[in-house]
Amino acid sequence: MKPRWIDRGAALALMCCAATAVADNPYLPVEGNPHFQSALQGVKPAAVTVRGFQLQRHPVTNGEFLSFVKAYPEWRRDVVPPLFAGADYLGQWLAPAELGATAQPQQPVTRISWFAAEAYCEAEGARLPTWYEWELAAAASRTERDARADPAWRQALLDWYARPAGKDLRPVEQSATDVYGLFDLHDLVWEWVQDANSLMSSDEAQKFCGSGALSLQQKENFAVLMRVAMLSSLKPNDTTRSLGFRCAKDLPATGQ
Amino acid sequence: MRYLAWMLWIVALSADAGEVALPPDSVYQLNAALTTQAGGTAGLDQYRGYPVMISMFYGSCPAACPMLITGIQAYESHLDPAARGRLRVLMVSFDQARDTAQQLAGLARLHRADPARWMFASAGESDARRIAALLGISYRRQAGGEFDHSLLITLLDGRGRVLAKTSKIVGDDAFQASLQLATAGESQ
Repeated sequence: MKPRWIDRGAALALMCCAATAVADNPYLPVEGNPHFQSALQGVKPAAVTVRGFQLQRHPVTNGEFLSFVKAYPEWRRDVVPPLFAGADYLGQWLAPAELGATAQPQQPVTRISWFAAEAYCEAEGARLPTWYEWELAAAASRTERDARADPAWRQALLDWYARPAGKDLRPVEQSATDVYGLFDLHDLVWEWVQDANSLMSSDEAQKFCGSGALSLQQKENFAVLMRVAMLSSLKPNDTTRSLGFRCAKDLPATGQ
Repeated sequence: MRYLAWMLWIVALSADAGEVALPPDSVYQLNAALTTQAGGTAGLDQYRGYPVMISMFYGSCPAACPMLITGIQAYESHLDPAARGRLRVLMVSFDQARDTAQQLAGLARLHRADPARWMFASAGESDARRIAALLGISYRRQAGGEFDHSLLITLLDGRGRVLAKTSKIVGDDAFQASLQLATAGESQ
Protein backbone atom coordinates (compact mmCIF):
# COMPACT_ATOMS: atom_id res chain seq x y z
CA MET A 1 0.00 0.00 0.00
CA LYS A 2 1.33 3.40 -0.91
CA PRO A 3 2.20 5.24 2.28
CA ARG A 4 -0.13 8.15 2.93
CA TRP A 5 2.75 10.38 3.74
CA ILE A 6 2.51 14.09 3.23
CA ASP A 7 5.83 15.60 2.30
CA ARG A 8 6.85 18.68 4.26
CA GLY A 9 6.41 20.95 1.24
CA ALA A 10 2.75 20.12 0.87
CA ALA A 11 2.15 20.40 4.57
CA LEU A 12 3.75 23.83 4.73
CA ALA A 13 1.74 25.06 1.75
CA LEU A 14 -1.46 23.91 3.40
CA MET A 15 -0.44 25.48 6.71
CA CYS A 16 0.06 28.78 4.89
CA CYS A 17 -3.58 28.67 3.75
CA ALA A 18 -4.67 27.63 7.20
CA ALA A 19 -2.82 30.65 8.53
CA THR A 20 -5.66 32.98 7.49
CA ALA A 21 -8.06 31.20 9.82
CA VAL A 22 -5.45 30.99 12.58
CA ALA A 23 -4.81 34.75 12.47
CA ASP A 24 -8.49 35.28 13.36
CA ASN A 25 -8.07 33.44 16.63
CA PRO A 26 -5.20 35.30 18.26
CA TYR A 27 -3.53 34.47 21.55
CA LEU A 28 -4.31 37.09 24.16
CA PRO A 29 -2.24 37.61 27.31
CA VAL A 30 -3.73 36.59 30.65
CA GLU A 31 -1.96 37.96 33.69
CA GLY A 32 -0.76 35.39 36.17
CA ASN A 33 -1.58 35.24 39.85
CA PRO A 34 0.95 34.02 42.43
CA HIS A 35 -1.84 33.21 44.91
CA PHE A 36 -4.78 32.08 42.85
CA GLN A 37 -7.53 30.48 44.91
CA SER A 38 -8.35 27.33 43.00
CA ALA A 39 -11.44 25.30 43.79
CA LEU A 40 -9.55 22.16 42.92
CA GLN A 41 -7.34 21.51 45.91
CA GLY A 42 -9.35 20.21 48.82
CA VAL A 43 -12.61 21.36 50.30
CA LYS A 44 -11.17 24.71 51.32
CA PRO A 45 -9.82 26.44 48.21
CA ALA A 46 -6.05 26.50 48.26
CA ALA A 47 -3.77 29.07 46.66
CA VAL A 48 -1.68 28.05 43.68
CA THR A 49 0.82 29.99 41.61
CA VAL A 50 -0.34 30.46 38.05
CA ARG A 51 2.17 32.13 35.74
CA GLY A 52 0.97 34.49 33.07
CA PHE A 53 0.13 32.84 29.76
CA GLN A 54 -1.66 33.40 26.48
CA LEU A 55 -5.05 31.99 25.55
CA GLN A 56 -6.88 31.93 22.23
CA ARG A 57 -9.66 34.44 21.91
CA HIS A 58 -12.38 31.92 21.10
CA PRO A 59 -12.83 28.16 21.05
CA VAL A 60 -11.42 26.54 17.94
CA THR A 61 -14.07 26.56 15.19
CA ASN A 62 -15.20 24.00 12.64
CA GLY A 63 -13.45 26.03 9.95
CA GLU A 64 -10.17 26.17 11.85
CA PHE A 65 -10.25 22.48 12.62
CA LEU A 66 -11.08 21.65 9.01
CA SER A 67 -7.88 23.41 7.90
CA PHE A 68 -5.98 21.29 10.39
CA VAL A 69 -7.54 18.03 9.18
CA LYS A 70 -6.74 18.91 5.57
CA ALA A 71 -3.13 19.63 6.50
CA TYR A 72 -2.83 16.54 8.71
CA PRO A 73 -5.11 13.91 7.13
CA GLU A 74 -4.12 11.30 9.69
CA TRP A 75 -6.65 13.14 11.89
CA ARG A 76 -9.56 12.56 9.51
CA ARG A 77 -12.37 10.69 11.22
CA ASP A 78 -12.12 7.84 8.71
CA VAL A 79 -8.38 7.40 9.27
CA VAL A 80 -7.59 8.15 12.89
CA PRO A 81 -7.13 5.11 15.15
CA PRO A 82 -10.05 4.66 17.59
CA LEU A 83 -7.43 4.73 20.32
CA PHE A 84 -7.03 8.47 19.72
CA ALA A 85 -10.58 9.46 18.84
CA GLY A 86 -13.84 7.62 19.50
CA ALA A 87 -16.58 6.69 17.08
CA ASP A 88 -18.41 10.01 17.30
CA TYR A 89 -15.33 12.08 16.47
CA LEU A 90 -16.29 14.92 14.09
CA GLY A 91 -19.60 13.16 13.52
CA GLN A 92 -21.32 16.49 12.94
CA TRP A 93 -19.39 17.06 9.70
CA LEU A 94 -20.86 15.91 6.40
CA ALA A 95 -17.70 14.07 5.38
CA PRO A 96 -14.20 13.49 6.79
CA ALA A 97 -12.88 16.69 5.18
CA GLU A 98 -16.08 18.58 4.50
CA LEU A 99 -18.28 20.52 6.91
CA GLY A 100 -21.61 20.39 5.09
CA ALA A 101 -24.67 22.49 5.92
CA THR A 102 -25.09 21.32 9.51
CA ALA A 103 -21.61 22.37 10.64
CA GLN A 104 -21.00 26.09 10.23
CA PRO A 105 -17.40 27.26 9.87
CA GLN A 106 -17.77 29.74 12.72
CA GLN A 107 -19.35 27.34 15.20
CA PRO A 108 -17.02 25.94 17.85
CA VAL A 109 -15.83 22.49 16.85
CA THR A 110 -17.11 19.76 19.16
CA ARG A 111 -16.91 15.95 19.20
CA ILE A 112 -13.19 16.38 19.63
CA SER A 113 -11.07 14.01 21.69
CA TRP A 114 -8.31 15.16 23.99
CA PHE A 115 -5.72 13.60 21.67
CA ALA A 116 -7.13 15.49 18.68
CA ALA A 117 -7.21 18.77 20.60
CA GLU A 118 -3.61 18.21 21.72
CA ALA A 119 -2.53 17.50 18.16
CA TYR A 120 -4.19 20.66 16.82
CA CYS A 121 -2.55 22.84 19.47
CA GLU A 122 0.82 21.22 18.93
CA ALA A 123 0.56 21.89 15.18
CA GLU A 124 0.13 25.56 16.09
CA GLY A 125 3.25 25.53 18.25
CA ALA A 126 0.88 25.76 21.21
CA ARG A 127 -0.69 23.48 23.80
CA LEU A 128 -3.92 22.99 25.73
CA PRO A 129 -4.30 25.24 28.78
CA THR A 130 -3.83 23.58 32.16
CA TRP A 131 -6.83 23.39 34.47
CA TYR A 132 -5.46 26.20 36.65
CA GLU A 133 -4.87 28.43 33.65
CA TRP A 134 -8.39 27.80 32.44
CA GLU A 135 -9.86 28.40 35.90
CA LEU A 136 -7.90 31.64 36.24
CA ALA A 137 -9.08 32.97 32.88
CA ALA A 138 -12.63 31.83 33.53
CA ALA A 139 -12.84 33.68 36.85
CA ALA A 140 -13.03 36.94 34.91
CA SER A 141 -16.08 39.00 34.11
CA ARG A 142 -16.31 41.90 31.68
CA THR A 143 -14.62 44.20 34.12
CA GLU A 144 -12.97 42.13 36.84
CA ARG A 145 -10.12 39.63 36.74
CA ASP A 146 -11.68 37.68 39.57
CA ALA A 147 -15.45 38.05 39.70
CA ARG A 148 -16.10 34.90 41.70
CA ALA A 149 -17.34 36.83 44.72
CA ASP A 150 -19.92 38.66 42.60
CA PRO A 151 -23.36 37.03 43.11
CA ALA A 152 -24.71 38.30 39.78
CA TRP A 153 -21.77 36.77 37.93
CA ARG A 154 -22.17 33.48 39.77
CA GLN A 155 -25.88 33.37 39.00
CA ALA A 156 -25.24 33.97 35.31
CA LEU A 157 -22.90 30.97 35.35
CA LEU A 158 -25.46 28.73 37.03
CA ASP A 159 -28.11 29.91 34.59
CA TRP A 160 -25.97 28.75 31.73
CA TYR A 161 -25.37 25.34 33.27
CA ALA A 162 -29.13 24.98 33.76
CA ARG A 163 -29.81 25.37 30.04
CA PRO A 164 -30.56 22.14 28.20
CA ALA A 165 -27.78 20.81 26.03
CA GLY A 166 -28.33 19.87 22.42
CA LYS A 167 -29.46 23.22 21.09
CA ASP A 168 -27.69 24.49 17.98
CA LEU A 169 -24.36 25.97 18.90
CA ARG A 170 -24.13 29.64 18.04
CA PRO A 171 -21.04 30.96 16.26
CA VAL A 172 -18.08 32.10 18.33
CA GLU A 173 -17.45 35.72 19.35
CA GLN A 174 -21.08 36.77 19.48
CA SER A 175 -21.39 37.49 23.17
CA ALA A 176 -19.40 39.91 25.29
CA THR A 177 -15.68 39.72 25.89
CA ASP A 178 -14.28 39.44 29.36
CA VAL A 179 -11.67 41.73 30.85
CA TYR A 180 -8.90 39.97 28.89
CA GLY A 181 -10.75 40.31 25.60
CA LEU A 182 -11.61 36.61 25.55
CA PHE A 183 -14.93 35.25 24.28
CA ASP A 184 -17.08 32.29 25.14
CA LEU A 185 -15.32 30.80 28.15
CA HIS A 186 -18.60 29.97 29.89
CA ASP A 187 -21.64 30.10 27.73
CA LEU A 188 -20.82 28.16 24.59
CA VAL A 189 -19.02 24.84 24.99
CA TRP A 190 -17.08 22.94 27.63
CA GLU A 191 -13.37 22.99 26.90
CA TRP A 192 -10.59 20.40 27.23
CA VAL A 193 -7.61 21.09 29.44
CA GLN A 194 -4.15 19.58 29.31
CA ASP A 195 -4.44 17.74 32.62
CA ALA A 196 -8.04 16.57 32.23
CA ASN A 197 -7.14 13.02 33.24
CA SER A 198 -5.29 14.15 36.36
CA LEU A 199 -7.87 16.42 37.98
CA MET A 200 -9.22 14.17 40.68
CA SER A 201 -7.31 12.69 43.55
CA SER A 202 -9.20 10.63 46.10
CA ASP A 203 -9.54 13.81 48.19
CA GLU A 204 -11.14 15.72 45.39
CA ALA A 205 -13.57 12.92 44.65
CA GLN A 206 -15.20 13.47 47.99
CA LYS A 207 -16.09 17.03 47.14
CA PHE A 208 -18.66 16.13 44.54
CA CYS A 209 -20.57 13.66 46.61
CA GLY A 210 -20.40 15.55 49.87
CA SER A 211 -22.80 18.12 51.23
CA GLY A 212 -20.07 20.78 50.87
CA ALA A 213 -21.03 21.28 47.23
CA LEU A 214 -24.50 22.41 48.17
CA SER A 215 -23.64 25.06 50.74
CA LEU A 216 -24.39 28.66 49.88
CA GLN A 217 -20.81 29.79 50.40
CA GLN A 218 -19.58 27.36 47.80
CA LYS A 219 -22.20 28.16 45.20
CA GLU A 220 -19.55 29.65 42.94
CA ASN A 221 -17.59 26.49 43.33
CA PHE A 222 -20.49 24.35 42.22
CA ALA A 223 -20.20 25.49 38.63
CA VAL A 224 -16.48 24.87 38.70
CA LEU A 225 -16.82 21.49 40.36
CA MET A 226 -19.39 20.43 37.75
CA ARG A 227 -16.86 21.26 35.09
CA VAL A 228 -14.14 19.28 36.86
CA ALA A 229 -16.52 16.35 37.34
CA MET A 230 -17.43 16.40 33.66
CA LEU A 231 -13.83 16.51 32.46
CA SER A 232 -12.78 13.84 34.95
CA SER A 233 -15.48 11.48 33.72
CA LEU A 234 -14.08 11.45 30.19
CA LYS A 235 -11.40 9.23 28.71
CA PRO A 236 -8.92 11.00 26.46
CA ASN A 237 -10.36 9.47 23.30
CA ASP A 238 -13.95 10.39 24.25
CA THR A 239 -15.86 13.11 22.48
CA THR A 240 -19.08 14.89 23.41
CA ARG A 241 -21.35 17.24 21.50
CA SER A 242 -20.84 20.07 23.93
CA LEU A 243 -17.07 19.77 24.42
CA GLY A 244 -14.56 21.74 22.38
CA PHE A 245 -11.25 23.39 23.16
CA ARG A 246 -8.95 26.34 22.63
CA CYS A 247 -5.16 26.51 22.76
CA ALA A 248 -2.73 28.25 25.07
CA LYS A 249 0.90 29.32 24.94
CA ASP A 250 3.46 30.42 27.46
CA LEU A 251 4.17 34.14 27.46
CA PRO A 252 7.21 35.10 25.38
CA ALA A 253 10.32 35.01 27.57
CA THR A 254 10.75 38.77 27.62
CA GLY A 255 7.06 39.41 28.20
CA GLN A 256 6.89 38.63 31.91
CA MET B 1 6.49 19.62 12.82
CA ARG B 2 8.06 17.28 15.29
CA TYR B 3 4.77 16.13 16.70
CA LEU B 4 3.73 14.73 13.35
CA ALA B 5 6.06 11.85 13.88
CA TRP B 6 3.89 10.37 16.56
CA MET B 7 1.02 9.73 14.18
CA LEU B 8 2.63 9.20 10.79
CA TRP B 9 4.69 6.36 12.12
CA ILE B 10 1.66 4.12 12.11
CA VAL B 11 1.20 4.80 8.41
CA ALA B 12 4.77 3.75 7.77
CA LEU B 13 4.23 0.53 9.66
CA SER B 14 1.11 -0.44 7.80
CA ALA B 15 2.76 0.42 4.51
CA ASP B 16 5.71 -1.88 5.02
CA ALA B 17 4.87 -5.14 3.31
CA GLY B 18 7.08 -7.17 5.63
CA GLU B 19 5.58 -5.88 8.89
CA VAL B 20 2.47 -7.12 10.58
CA ALA B 21 0.18 -4.12 10.91
CA LEU B 22 -0.61 -3.02 14.44
CA PRO B 23 -4.08 -3.90 15.66
CA PRO B 24 -6.43 -0.90 16.11
CA ASP B 25 -6.25 -1.10 19.89
CA SER B 26 -2.48 -1.30 20.14
CA VAL B 27 -0.88 1.36 22.32
CA TYR B 28 2.16 1.10 20.05
CA GLN B 29 0.29 3.36 17.63
CA LEU B 30 1.61 6.13 19.84
CA ASN B 31 5.13 6.88 18.73
CA ALA B 32 6.99 8.37 21.67
CA ALA B 33 10.69 9.22 21.84
CA LEU B 34 11.92 7.86 25.15
CA THR B 35 15.41 8.43 26.50
CA THR B 36 16.76 5.16 27.83
CA GLN B 37 18.97 4.39 30.82
CA ALA B 38 21.75 3.76 28.28
CA GLY B 39 21.40 7.28 26.94
CA GLY B 40 19.80 6.17 23.68
CA THR B 41 16.35 6.64 22.21
CA ALA B 42 13.57 4.08 22.22
CA GLY B 43 9.93 3.93 21.28
CA LEU B 44 7.07 2.74 23.41
CA ASP B 45 7.29 -0.46 21.34
CA GLN B 46 10.77 -1.17 22.61
CA TYR B 47 9.72 -4.69 23.53
CA ARG B 48 7.38 -5.40 20.67
CA GLY B 49 6.98 -9.13 20.25
CA TYR B 50 7.10 -9.82 23.98
CA PRO B 51 4.51 -9.52 26.73
CA VAL B 52 5.46 -6.35 28.65
CA MET B 53 4.57 -4.85 31.98
CA ILE B 54 4.62 -1.08 31.60
CA SER B 55 4.24 1.60 34.24
CA MET B 56 5.12 5.21 34.94
CA PHE B 57 7.07 6.68 37.84
CA TYR B 58 9.65 9.29 38.74
CA GLY B 59 13.08 8.69 40.23
CA SER B 60 12.92 11.04 43.23
CA CYS B 61 9.71 9.43 44.43
CA PRO B 62 10.29 8.64 48.10
CA ALA B 63 8.09 5.63 48.73
CA ALA B 64 5.40 4.82 46.20
CA CYS B 65 7.67 4.23 43.24
CA PRO B 66 10.16 1.95 44.98
CA MET B 67 7.13 -0.02 46.15
CA LEU B 68 5.81 -0.09 42.60
CA ILE B 69 9.05 -1.51 41.27
CA THR B 70 9.27 -4.06 44.07
CA GLY B 71 5.68 -4.99 43.39
CA ILE B 72 6.36 -5.60 39.70
CA GLN B 73 9.32 -7.76 40.66
CA ALA B 74 7.09 -9.72 43.02
CA TYR B 75 4.55 -10.42 40.29
CA GLU B 76 7.25 -11.67 37.96
CA SER B 77 8.94 -13.71 40.67
CA HIS B 78 5.90 -16.02 40.74
CA LEU B 79 6.62 -17.09 37.18
CA ASP B 80 8.88 -20.02 36.40
CA PRO B 81 12.25 -18.99 34.89
CA ALA B 82 11.25 -19.86 31.33
CA ALA B 83 8.09 -17.78 31.52
CA ARG B 84 9.92 -14.92 33.19
CA GLY B 85 12.49 -15.05 30.42
CA ARG B 86 9.75 -14.22 27.93
CA LEU B 87 8.56 -11.20 29.93
CA ARG B 88 9.79 -7.62 29.60
CA VAL B 89 9.33 -4.57 31.82
CA LEU B 90 9.32 -0.93 30.71
CA MET B 91 9.36 1.80 33.37
CA VAL B 92 8.71 5.28 31.99
CA SER B 93 9.58 8.35 34.04
CA PHE B 94 7.59 11.57 33.59
CA ASP B 95 10.41 13.58 35.18
CA GLN B 96 12.84 13.70 32.28
CA ALA B 97 14.64 16.76 33.64
CA ARG B 98 15.85 14.97 36.75
CA ASP B 99 15.75 11.35 35.62
CA THR B 100 18.76 11.46 33.35
CA ALA B 101 20.20 8.34 31.76
CA GLN B 102 22.68 8.13 34.63
CA GLN B 103 19.95 8.42 37.24
CA LEU B 104 17.90 5.77 35.50
CA ALA B 105 20.84 3.42 35.21
CA GLY B 106 21.51 3.94 38.92
CA LEU B 107 17.90 3.10 39.73
CA ALA B 108 18.09 -0.05 37.64
CA ARG B 109 21.20 -1.15 39.56
CA LEU B 110 19.66 -0.23 42.91
CA HIS B 111 16.66 -2.43 42.24
CA ARG B 112 18.80 -5.17 40.69
CA ALA B 113 16.56 -5.09 37.64
CA ASP B 114 17.48 -7.78 35.13
CA PRO B 115 19.24 -5.79 32.37
CA ALA B 116 18.22 -8.34 29.76
CA ARG B 117 14.53 -7.75 30.37
CA TRP B 118 14.01 -4.41 32.13
CA MET B 119 14.32 -0.92 30.79
CA PHE B 120 14.09 2.36 32.64
CA ALA B 121 13.45 5.32 30.36
CA SER B 122 12.12 8.85 30.53
CA ALA B 123 9.63 10.72 28.36
CA GLY B 124 9.51 14.42 27.54
CA GLU B 125 6.52 16.42 28.74
CA SER B 126 4.26 15.95 25.72
CA ASP B 127 5.08 12.29 25.30
CA ALA B 128 4.63 11.64 29.03
CA ARG B 129 1.20 13.29 28.93
CA ARG B 130 0.11 11.19 25.99
CA ILE B 131 1.48 7.94 27.38
CA ALA B 132 -0.20 8.60 30.71
CA ALA B 133 -3.48 9.44 28.97
CA LEU B 134 -3.28 6.25 26.92
CA LEU B 135 -2.50 4.03 29.90
CA GLY B 136 -4.93 5.75 32.27
CA ILE B 137 -2.31 7.07 34.68
CA SER B 138 -2.83 10.42 36.42
CA TYR B 139 0.03 12.57 37.53
CA ARG B 140 0.44 16.15 38.59
CA ARG B 141 3.63 17.99 39.39
CA GLN B 142 3.53 19.72 42.75
CA ALA B 143 5.13 23.03 43.68
CA GLY B 144 8.22 21.44 45.21
CA GLY B 145 8.97 19.29 42.16
CA GLU B 146 7.52 16.09 43.50
CA PHE B 147 4.59 14.43 41.76
CA ASP B 148 1.19 13.21 42.85
CA HIS B 149 0.49 10.20 40.72
CA SER B 150 -1.55 7.06 40.50
CA LEU B 151 0.04 3.62 40.48
CA LEU B 152 -0.94 1.41 37.61
CA ILE B 153 0.76 -1.60 36.08
CA THR B 154 -0.37 -2.47 32.57
CA LEU B 155 0.31 -5.79 30.86
CA LEU B 156 0.61 -5.62 27.08
CA ASP B 157 0.78 -8.43 24.57
CA GLY B 158 3.43 -8.65 21.88
CA ARG B 159 1.52 -6.26 19.66
CA GLY B 160 0.82 -3.63 22.28
CA ARG B 161 -2.74 -4.57 23.20
CA VAL B 162 -3.74 -4.24 26.84
CA LEU B 163 -4.22 -7.66 28.42
CA ALA B 164 -4.62 -6.62 32.05
CA LYS B 165 -4.12 -3.77 34.49
CA THR B 166 -3.66 -3.56 38.20
CA SER B 167 -3.29 -0.77 40.72
CA LYS B 168 -2.46 -3.23 43.45
CA ILE B 169 1.26 -3.55 43.92
CA VAL B 170 0.77 -6.91 45.56
CA GLY B 171 -1.78 -9.69 45.63
CA ASP B 172 -3.85 -9.15 42.50
CA ASP B 173 -4.57 -12.76 41.63
CA ALA B 174 -6.39 -11.97 38.42
CA PHE B 175 -3.44 -9.92 37.22
CA GLN B 176 -1.05 -12.69 38.18
CA ALA B 177 -3.16 -15.14 36.20
CA SER B 178 -3.04 -12.87 33.15
CA LEU B 179 0.72 -12.68 33.51
CA GLN B 180 0.89 -16.46 33.68
CA LEU B 181 -1.18 -16.82 30.53
CA ALA B 182 0.73 -14.16 28.60
CA THR B 183 4.11 -15.75 29.29
CA ALA B 184 3.04 -19.36 28.94
CA GLY B 185 3.67 -19.98 25.27
CA GLU B 186 5.95 -18.56 22.64
CA SER B 187 6.09 -14.76 22.35
CA GLN B 188 3.67 -13.35 19.74
